[in-house]
Amino acid sequence: MSNINGKVYAMNAITPMKPWKTWILRLIFFVLGHVKSLQQDLINLSFIEFARWVVVPRGGFPQLGNGQEPEKLTYDYLLFFSNFNGTWNQYIDAFSAVLFKGLDLIWKWSEKFPGSVPVTIFKEYIGRVQFDTDYYFTAYPHATANDLKAAHSVQASFDDLRSRAANLSGPEFADAYLNFVLQVQPYLGETGEAPVVF
Amino acid sequence: MPNNSGKVYGLTILSPIINDDRATPSHDLQIRSYLAGLSTGQDSPFALAPGTHLARLVVMDDVVFVGAPAVEEHLNSKYLIFESNCDAGPDGSIDGYLNGLAEHAAEHLDAIWSHCVGYPGAADRAAFIRYMKACQLETTFFFAAINDKSVPETLRALQTQRAVADFIESHQGVEPEKLRAEFLKLVSALDAAPLPTVASAIVSRDIKIGGRNE
Amino acid sequence: MSKLNETDIQGFVLRGYNLPFGRYIFIHFKNPDRAVVLISKLLPMITTGQRWDNGKPPSTVNIAFTHRGLAALALPDATLLSFPVEFQQGMKKRAEILGDTGRNAPERWDAVWHGDEVHAWLGINGLTAEALETCCSQVRALFAETGGAIELAAQDAVSNMVNGQQTGKEHFGYTDGFGNPDYLGIERNSQPGHGKQLPDGSWAPLATGELLLGYADEAGELPIAPIPHILASNGTFMVYRKLHQNVATFRKFLDEQSANYGGGREKLAAKLIGRWRDGTPLELAPDAPDQSIVKDPTRNTNFTYGADGAGTRCPIGAHMRRAHPRDAFGFNGKLIDRRRITRRGQTYGRFVPEGESASDAEDRGVVFMVLNANISRQFEFVQQQWIEYGNDAKQGNDKDPLIGNHGGHGKFVVQGDRSASNPPLICGHLPNFVELRGGDYFFIPSITALGMIAMKLVDPR
Repeated sequence: MSNINGKVYAMNAITPMKPWKTWILRLIFFVLGHVKSLQQDLINLSFIEFARWVVVPRGGFPQLGNGQEPEKLTYDYLLFFSNFNGTWNQYIDAFSAVLFKGLDLIWKWSEKFPGSVPVTIFKEYIGRVQFDTDYYFTAYPHATANDLKAAHSVQASFDDLRSRAANLSGPEFADAYLNFVLQVQPYLGETGEAPVVF
Repeated sequence: MPNNSGKVYGLTILSPIINDDRATPSHDLQIRSYLAGLSTGQDSPFALAPGTHLARLVVMDDVVFVGAPAVEEHLNSKYLIFESNCDAGPDGSIDGYLNGLAEHAAEHLDAIWSHCVGYPGAADRAAFIRYMKACQLETTFFFAAINDKSVPETLRALQTQRAVADFIESHQGVEPEKLRAEFLKLVSALDAAPLPTVASAIVSRDIKIGGRNE
Repeated sequence: MSKLNETDIQGFVLRGYNLPFGRYIFIHFKNPDRAVVLISKLLPMITTGQRWDNGKPPSTVNIAFTHRGLAALALPDATLLSFPVEFQQGMKKRAEILGDTGRNAPERWDAVWHGDEVHAWLGINGLTAEALETCCSQVRALFAETGGAIELAAQDAVSNMVNGQQTGKEHFGYTDGFGNPDYLGIERNSQPGHGKQLPDGSWAPLATGELLLGYADEAGELPIAPIPHILASNGTFMVYRKLHQNVATFRKFLDEQSANYGGGREKLAAKLIGRWRDGTPLELAPDAPDQSIVKDPTRNTNFTYGADGAGTRCPIGAHMRRAHPRDAFGFNGKLIDRRRITRRGQTYGRFVPEGESASDAEDRGVVFMVLNANISRQFEFVQQQWIEYGNDAKQGNDKDPLIGNHGGHGKFVVQGDRSASNPPLICGHLPNFVELRGGDYFFIPSITALGMIAMKLVDPR
């Protein structure tokens, strides 16, 4: 089992919800999905590569017959999967510090959710509802979301310059090259090993 | 579709694990044990097959009891969760991705999912895709920090970024004509360079173009 | 927030004494019964946070303990186990986390750190060399008189002198000591840029619990603290790090890199850290140092990075911008308010002005001491994530150019613009300008807690 691969951490969490509350949550997600400006904080918290929430209604666990006993549940469940960079504590600290309203809006429908502030009680709850990852794969163990965005920025500037380079004189090229360097200069950090997890 | 964000797809599959008292060790433990030994590097099924940015496999033993006054309840099956963030097909579908997995990593898939209820095997592609879709849950909300780049595009960009950083560092103060010539050499070298492998160690520093100390 | 009880808090926690002479004595307790007698005799000498209305005293004494030291004083196990894990482990065991490897690895530290012998730190400062000696003699006499401790080593420190005057300059020539945070309830000449930034752009003190145990912190809760509470309250944790400075390497680097840099040598030195060497912040004066800013407390820490996202004034990876990113990570700085540290530094070794030859082998550097309520959340996080790594600053694995453990492989990008005097520059193959020579994690108890320890009155609940 490992929740960690290189620079990414895989978090899984499951929380029970009374079924009538599920509909409120679905509505909230619907709005969040359609009003992109509401996602801005999630985007600005630049250490999340992918995250998803999946509502599993009490009758919604896959049933394949073949002798599989049907589930008999009273709660709906909210599954949460996140792929983030950095430490577990950093991730939850950041959520609690700047996204507490959004988090509360998403999880307040779950049983026993204590609120995302103050952070220690919130962490205790996450610790209780988190379950561990058996196998975690990333195509880019040495890159974070920021590293990937930086690389794509460099690629775009590079493609732009290469498309013009052959047709420029030496001095013209030198000028275009300086522009290129100024474009890419914030994005040249090394990719590499992740720091030791603590 | 909430499963899609731009060009990427959020695949969530919950496969019920066979509950058989006679199996020793139990099927869930056999999956865990296989996953524990499975490579996360270039031999990973998700490296052998195309299109995976990040993916996880998790044996979910049960739902969680959060304490009174909540009610304690339990699942009748354990589930294998397969969560993948992958490239969607041009039509936004997941079929091509699932087909690629079956084509390139059938042995691993069979070793893992043969412990799940109703798994037909990867050899029959159509049945395999039907099975996976039968186990699929629709994502309620999917967030992707980058949703407009495929896996090969990302690998290429990482390679370009490193080569560019090295090039700029070694070409400070180089006169324009030489700079232009060497930049074009860098372009050719990057075009000729093989795509870096998925899940490999640090991107190589093989691309070296002249520079000030030449 | 009511006023803090300054008579209960060790003075070293509340203020930098700014006394020119220092000695840090590391001791080992042989026997708990004799050691507590030593502590009870030291207790009246301990400098508290009480204001110095009659001017600075000739000398000060403060005390702090490692976890092993507290164990050697026979504190109850339930108390010892209630301390945070990183403090129980000590700094040496956290080396991999902190990036203290290679040239900074514990094998290369001073001999005093090789065993696990250090039980306590005695910090003694003096207004004059004589006052320091007098005070040290008194303290050392108590070691002998009580048989409570043996001295393992002592580290002398002295503020760098220029033309016979005490300066705030460290050995690389930078004027240091601008940016310590303000905390609620701690009296200090507050200035904009200390503390935390509010959404309206103004500055306010940090919550007291970011520095002191027993008070609310920036998360709106009491910091994690050992039991009983009275042992913890008004105490804090200290990180002690002896940082050797390779002055010759540093100057050679400036010479070589500035030869190809249109901004020149002094600007390159400024770009490394974010201030000109006289202390002028690059954000406020990117073209030349300006003493009028340095001397103006309403300006010398009053700046942000929001308008310099590209780093063309202060590079994104510059030391100061990493260690205290202000608004650089967005969210009005909310992501950094729980990562602030208070620094107490003092130089050691002979100061060599530019123009005189210096060698890396000569013993000089800075004794760097950090005060924080939570070593893991504050110091260790800053050290690992912001100094030895760059992801939050969007600089990948690039490390702090000045104090990073580069091992010859570091890279520093100086973002620039189209002007000839501020061009972009990439410095590769960075060496270690600074090397760690040892240190540990310490607990600085309150006066009340010291008394409880001295009288063996610590109950876990």
